[in-house]
Amino acid sequence: MSDWITYRLVDFLMFSPRVYYRLVERYNHDVWPLQIIFIAGGLFVLMLAVRRKNRAIAFPALAIAWAFCAWQFLWMRYAVINWPVSYAAAAFLLQAGLIVVSIRPAGAPPPAVRLYGGIGLMLLGLIAYPLLAPFAGRSIASAESFGLMPDPTATTTLGAVLALSPKPPWLLLPIPLLWCAVSGLTLWALQDPGAWVPFASIVATLALVLLSRR
Amino acid sequence: MIITRRATVQGLGLGALLPLMPRLALGQPANLVSRPIPSSGELMPVVGLGTWITFNVGDDPVLKDECAAVLAAFFESGGRMVDSSPMYGSSQPTIGYGLRKLRYPERLFSAEKVWISDPTRGTAQIEASRAYWGVETFDLMQVHNLVSWEEHLPALFEMKASGQIRYVGITTSEGRRHREIERVMASEPIDFVQITYNILDREVEERILPLAKEKGIGVIVNRPFRQKRLIRQFEDEPLPAWLDETGALSWAQFLLKFIISHPAVTCAIPATTRVDHVRENLEAATGILPDERSRRRMVDYVEAL
Ligand SMILES: NC(=O)c1ccc[n+]([C@@H]2O[C@H](COP(=O)([O-])OP(=O)(O)OC[C@H]3O[C@@H](n4cnc5c(N)ncnc54)[C@H](OP(=O)(O)O)[C@@H]3O)[C@@H](O)[C@H]2O)c1
Repeated sequence: MSDWITYRLVDFLMFSPRVYYRLVERYNHDVWPLQIIFIAGGLFVLMLAVRRKNRAIAFPALAIAWAFCAWQFLWMRYAVINWPVSYAAAAFLLQAGLIVVSIRPAGAPPPAVRLYGGIGLMLLGLIAYPLLAPFAGRSIASAESFGLMPDPTATTTLGAVLALSPKPPWLLLPIPLLWCAVSGLTLWALQDPGAWVPFASIVATLALVLLSRR
Repeated sequence: MIITRRATVQGLGLGALLPLMPRLALGQPANLVSRPIPSSGELMPVVGLGTWITFNVGDDPVLKDECAAVLAAFFESGGRMVDSSPMYGSSQPTIGYGLRKLRYPERLFSAEKVWISDPTRGTAQIEASRAYWGVETFDLMQVHNLVSWEEHLPALFEMKASGQIRYVGITTSEGRRHREIERVMASEPIDFVQITYNILDREVEERILPLAKEKGIGVIVNRPFRQKRLIRQFEDEPLPAWLDETGALSWAQFLLKFIISHPAVTCAIPATTRVDHVRENLEAATGILPDERSRRRMVDYVEAL
């Protein structure tokens, strides 16, 4: 006797777009200029992937991004208007831990398709994401950047672990993929024009994993 | 610890960068139609205020003040019932903020909910809600969406007996679990039932509203505008030429007048973020209400649109 089927996606949305994007604007304002520092850190990870060396030091940078986003955005801010997000904050901390335990000395480079596809995803997360706000008709003050906001953090990380790991990084994929699905559905319910981007990250990741199977 | 702008800038020693950050776009009430609460005779204006989504604004100072202004206009216009739930994110602290600012208007009728499946944690949840509102006691405590109602109701009746709350109720919405609601209404001494009723969702007219009348149970109506979808659906359509007989001046009032003119309804609780809308909604509780013949005309009219 379940009445779950009578609910629509919007029934789970408990805040308005205005409240959400003002929250993001105020957060960006509070932590400025950490946006620049995190993106610079992300570009450093990208450079390590391109140069195919010292990959082990890329992982702590990713872990810091997940932990910071979990703590300052998901837990301290977003969960206040959307209580289910407190579980996501725990998952993000777990992902930070998983990244740390996945640190390995550099091994063989990944297949080229995964390397270049991963770099493409990182560019999406690091460079394109912050520019999405104006395209979605929002102010640049609500721009989303790596390390601060969950979507670019997830996308950049998916790209980074695909580009850095010799084997498909199975342990590090579920949480970012799951987050992209949750976020895509939330943005869809909010009728945000950028709702397709998290879904694109999922499709790209799965395609890269499949294509690079030898 | 939440990182603030000051902490970030000082921590990084980068005060000079601050200007680069994009700036933040930054009486006497009218006589309202009131109905007696059936179990006590206490008078309740037929339009109240909901807080789902609209009052969930986190700690945004601008939006908190906007909600406080809505509350101020609500009480100024003679409103009484404010409805919330622990499910509504930060709506409870927002209400508390507004009430403190308004120094707890005397006419407030606080309608809260208990919403937790573990019945042993009900009392703690109610206490947390009370602290958020900053009130001494709640007027009405409802079991939200029938969650663990068999266990919560006896506890609520005890709280009522000891004066910690004044009324007990249950809620559902959008037609869910109506058979079970009817069973509770028939077997438990509740004061209120909260259901969805509007000009397009009229299923409750068949059994629940007559049962409420028969049992002397007050009826609170949620989703009067189907969370604004009804307004969007009709706002570009013309209002009927015979609008006078409804007493309404706008679509919002037309929709509200339909609900509150049902004799079993005690109070409808539209939610809003806007002062002009809260005034418009309370104004629906003034002047004439449509009679039975006009109510049928109203249904025929919107169904033909
Ligand atoms: N199971 C339950 O217990 C349950 C379930 C659902 C709801 N509820 C309660 O019932 C309350 C009402 O339901 P609801 O909030 O879902 O939906 P609702 O009251 O039908 O609709 C709220 C929407 O209507 C708009 N609105 C209000 N007055 C207006 C006006 N005069 N003109 C134009 N638009 C107007 C508001 O937008 P603006 O901000 O632009 O005015 C708001 O978005 C809830 O807030 C909650 O307290 C309880």
